[in-house]
Amino acid sequence: MATKTKKQPDLSVELAGIRLKNPVLTASGTFGYGEEYADIVDLNRLGGVIVKGISLKPINGNPPPRIWETPAGMLNAIGLENPGVDVFLRDKLPILRNYDTALIVNIFGYSLEEYVGVAERFDGVPGVSGLEVNISCPNVKAGGIVFGTNLKAAFELLSAVRKATKLPIIAKLSPNVTDITEFAKAARDAGCDGLSLINTLLGMAIDVRSRRPRLANCTGGLSGPAIRPVAVRMVWQAAKAVSLPIIGMGGIMTAEDALEFILAGASAVAVGTANFVNPRATVDVAEGIGAFLEQQGIGSVRELVGQVRTE
Amino acid sequence: MPPSKLHRATVLHHRPAGRGFYRLVLQAPALASVSVPGQFVMLRVSENLDPLLARPFGISSIIAKRSLELYYRVVGRGTTLLTAVEKGSILSVTGPLGNGFPAPAKGATPLLIAGGSGFPPLLYFAAWYGKQSRLFAGSRDKECLPPMSAMKDFRSRVKAIHYATEDGSRGTCGFVTDSLGEYLSGQARDGRPVIYACGPHAMLAAVSRIAADHAVPCYVSLEERMACGLGVCMGCSVAMKAGGYKRVCKEGPVFDSREIEWGERLTLKVGG
Repeated sequence: MATKTKKQPDLSVELAGIRLKNPVLTASGTFGYGEEYADIVDLNRLGGVIVKGISLKPINGNPPPRIWETPAGMLNAIGLENPGVDVFLRDKLPILRNYDTALIVNIFGYSLEEYVGVAERFDGVPGVSGLEVNISCPNVKAGGIVFGTNLKAAFELLSAVRKATKLPIIAKLSPNVTDITEFAKAARDAGCDGLSLINTLLGMAIDVRSRRPRLANCTGGLSGPAIRPVAVRMVWQAAKAVSLPIIGMGGIMTAEDALEFILAGASAVAVGTANFVNPRATVDVAEGIGAFLEQQGIGSVRELVGQVRTE
Repeated sequence: MPPSKLHRATVLHHRPAGRGFYRLVLQAPALASVSVPGQFVMLRVSENLDPLLARPFGISSIIAKRSLELYYRVVGRGTTLLTAVEKGSILSVTGPLGNGFPAPAKGATPLLIAGGSGFPPLLYFAAWYGKQSRLFAGSRDKECLPPMSAMKDFRSRVKAIHYATEDGSRGTCGFVTDSLGEYLSGQARDGRPVIYACGPHAMLAAVSRIAADHAVPCYVSLEERMACGLGVCMGCSVAMKAGGYKRVCKEGPVFDSREIEWGERLTLKVGG
């Protein structure tokens, strides 16, 4: 504990025009709509909540099995199961509004029109700080990754969403591309206010006895600490390529993991799979960043953004 | 905020229980005092990152309102590593999770159908509602039946036990579902039976069909792989007859068997 005379380090950051009390957010799809964790984590202590992806219409998701554990990670092919934007606005959002934390709504669709349609629904809705546009889900055939792995499609989609809303928009990029910087630039050129990276890496596991894939969807998205070095590298590359603020994510379990992303160039971080393993992970990471700054005598977390020494 | 579901539990007892099972007793008073039969916990077998995820375990008993008893069989890396956890260790436990079994109506006869290693939640059920219950325990052979200590507890908690083994080494030769079918068709059948079942998916599907044939209410406790246990990852979803999916961890693990879309797996070999 700090002595009373000592000044507490400043954890606040501003990202795409959204003020966060600390740089720790929840990664979409790993924290539900907040309420599921409300009796475990004090949501008021989070920088922000990025909710599970919302589409225009409810989606049932993929048939099971949907998850498979892998070394220091897991594969998932949930298929973006969600109750749709109407139910979200009616039942989920009012609960989240009770908390003093930024709220970023993750949106997706199966066509450009659906993305635009869902984005429009959040304009002027109180309590929503911004939109994260998922162009990178590897588990739905028609949408998601189709936009996230094709430069022209990504640019057109993000441009259309840009025109559809006044809210800050953050493009969630796919790591399943050869050069992440091209997509970071496309998002910038389309008028995005920030970037989230990375989404899951496309993976596969097979049961050698039955010779069947472990997931009913055959392939799934790999997450967890196994992917962290890939994520840190991509954040570093993207941060050098564009000046947009970045939410870094991919296998963050501890404050030290989060600090790697911040040094690589992320202004904020999102904790994902760790929420499943340690339901208090978000708060632990935020507290740990504070403790690190204090130990190091650093006044503000903003001083660390992009400060990796590569010379 | 309501009481947290996160607990640091002390290992009070952890030893092989026979027949390939381990018995693990964890002291976690805040968890133990509020749990009900049918609920489960998520247990991290270590604080390391590999294996990454916690494992779900059904609670088999609450001891002195302070501790929970779990039985598990070594089936993979997680449970293999768990066997090395020593008495006195502290483990991260989340729970109690999910919904318990509905209480049987007054005068009803609960029929507990335990297949393979699916007995723990039924043992807990028997502690609350056992007096009028009959246990149907089935497995491949007698060495795969619940361990002696669990059977001893069952004997003290239920009215009668029916064994069924596929090789005939204990009780009736055949599947536990055959014993159940015979019992429900027979003269000795008690009034107002209600089925509570836990075990392999194919067994539950067969039990569900028998229950429907005999117009007996049937509740099944499902097991699925899950990452969070909190209703968030959507990894443990099962298909519903009415369409869509429900989460085993949140809407379950206990379901009315009529709700479940048992699907193509019905045609698989029916085992105990």
